[in-house]
Amino acid sequence: MTLIEAILARASGRETVKPGDVVVANVDRMIMHDLSGYVTSKVFDEKVGLPIANPDRIVMVFDHLFSPPSETEAEVLQADRAWARKHGINLLDCGNGNIHNAVVHNGFIGPGMVVVGSDSHTPVHGAMGAFAVALGNDSHAGTVLPYSKAWFKVPETIRIDLHGTLQPGTTPRDVALWLVSQIGEGGAIYKAIELGGPLVEEMSLFDRWLLTLITVDLGAKCGYVDPDEKVFKFAREHNAMQAWDEMEVSPVSERKYEKRLEFDVSDLAPQVACSPTVGNVKTVDKVAGTTIQYAELGGHAGGRIEDLRVAAEVFKGKRVHPEVCLNIVPSSRVAFAQALEEGIVAQLHEAGAMWFPPSTGSNQAVNMGAMAAGDAMISTHSRNFPSRNGSIDAAMYLASSHTVSASAIAGCITDIREVL
Amino acid sequence: MSKYVFEGKSWKVGDFIPTDQIIKSRRVYQSIDKAAKYVFEDINPRFGQEVQKGDILVAGKHFGQSSGRAVAVKALIATGVSCIVAESFSRTFYRNAFEIGLPILEVSGVHDAVEEGDRISVDVLGGVFCNERTGEKLEGKPIDPFLIEMIEAGGVIAMAPKLVGRTT
Repeated sequence: MTLIEAILARASGRETVKPGDVVVANVDRMIMHDLSGYVTSKVFDEKVGLPIANPDRIVMVFDHLFSPPSETEAEVLQADRAWARKHGINLLDCGNGNIHNAVVHNGFIGPGMVVVGSDSHTPVHGAMGAFAVALGNDSHAGTVLPYSKAWFKVPETIRIDLHGTLQPGTTPRDVALWLVSQIGEGGAIYKAIELGGPLVEEMSLFDRWLLTLITVDLGAKCGYVDPDEKVFKFAREHNAMQAWDEMEVSPVSERKYEKRLEFDVSDLAPQVACSPTVGNVKTVDKVAGTTIQYAELGGHAGGRIEDLRVAAEVFKGKRVHPEVCLNIVPSSRVAFAQALEEGIVAQLHEAGAMWFPPSTGSNQAVNMGAMAAGDAMISTHSRNFPSRNGSIDAAMYLASSHTVSASAIAGCITDIREVL
Repeated sequence: MSKYVFEGKSWKVGDFIPTDQIIKSRRVYQSIDKAAKYVFEDINPRFGQEVQKGDILVAGKHFGQSSGRAVAVKALIATGVSCIVAESFSRTFYRNAFEIGLPILEVSGVHDAVEEGDRISVDVLGGVFCNERTGEKLEGKPIDPFLIEMIEAGGVIAMAPKLVGRTT
């Protein structure tokens, strides 16, 4: 069995499972953010109304809102807080970071867990060796909250092996965006994507994170990397090893895959996903020179300490372009604290950047990041659909923290390789 | 098998429509009936105003991608749409549809086979699509028996007490 087949077998009390089986599995963790949590709590109260079976397994993170801009949003947070307290679930209030970084840094995710969430990027936790899947409000309200269970159809698995050495200026984020161009948006609907090979093994946990994150845009049910010592070390330090016991995972050579893909990314150039979809990926030279008004290091694919360090490096002796606003949104309190300690906060502040609270930043422009018609932003966000950030005629370009930083300095989309 | 057989006027949307464009997240604060008027507000503002009960939506590839918000399905149900046929659905949308009770069918080639406004018929369980204007018939992707059981039970919440005790 693959990792996720082994997790599903154990969680559903079976010896084995195979693709196509429908199983009812025990859920170790359910995560939701301020907006989805609000909707889920309403559905639960109105249609279910049972006690929550294991409130300690449920986490709500306020990340779309870090400070309510109007009475309406304040009422949402008020209702969320009251509901969280009433049921005794875990609550990470405003300023804790974006949902996925916040839960992992607070020890809520570990290898071997069944993790469900309403945020579509929940599969990112496959980087931790979890079976992590996005479900809708009705599954959460109907089976997860009252019974700590959820139904799953066991997916077929596609194995992707990555080989090669990345060129200077090309990063795991570029590999992730490029994979969407290779496999296609919705090119792997309902599948599990197993990522491996020498390049993935070399990557840090939080670089692998960028790969499992993107599996959602391929249409996958989940993405994952078999956990190794890097993951176990992080999980031990965060007391998150409880689900990793006697997993019956087969060696790669004995697993059954629907197909196997091998890519050598040694020659890969930096990539940019252009409006209107995440699948509209181009090499950076095709869009270099495009004027931008906003740049943002934040969102699900940015704002890690790794991204903030990249910005500090690229910005050495340089300033934000006078006609660009550079938003920096740490992904967690840990990332911000680390940036403070390393002098990155002061350096980028003096370079003209704006620091925002740890949150999901301009994601859907709920709390920040709306644009007017004709505006353009380049960011480390994970979505670029029209009208997600204000006007339907504003453009969002998705890229690496290297490309975002270099573009914020130049005032236009810039090939980092020309300034390295 | 007359259940889940629909005939109606068609509306069309393209490929890769994210849930954000089905219904914006800020509309989620409103009642679902109010939100229904804003379905597809950016891509086809006529839809929310003119859609009639029993109309059928035809979509392209990976319909309902991006955010997995179930409210996208609920808002579509509130517009009166009886079912959706698409080239393919995002998995969260697909799951939500059966969990909530919106019949949907994946039919390869359906997007090119329909001009908006055509009368079309869909037999969801039988997996048959027909354009009544052109007479063209297409076969749909079979639906997992488990999902049929769920939609017949009235959705995942109604089915939950029985579902969680299930071992096979």
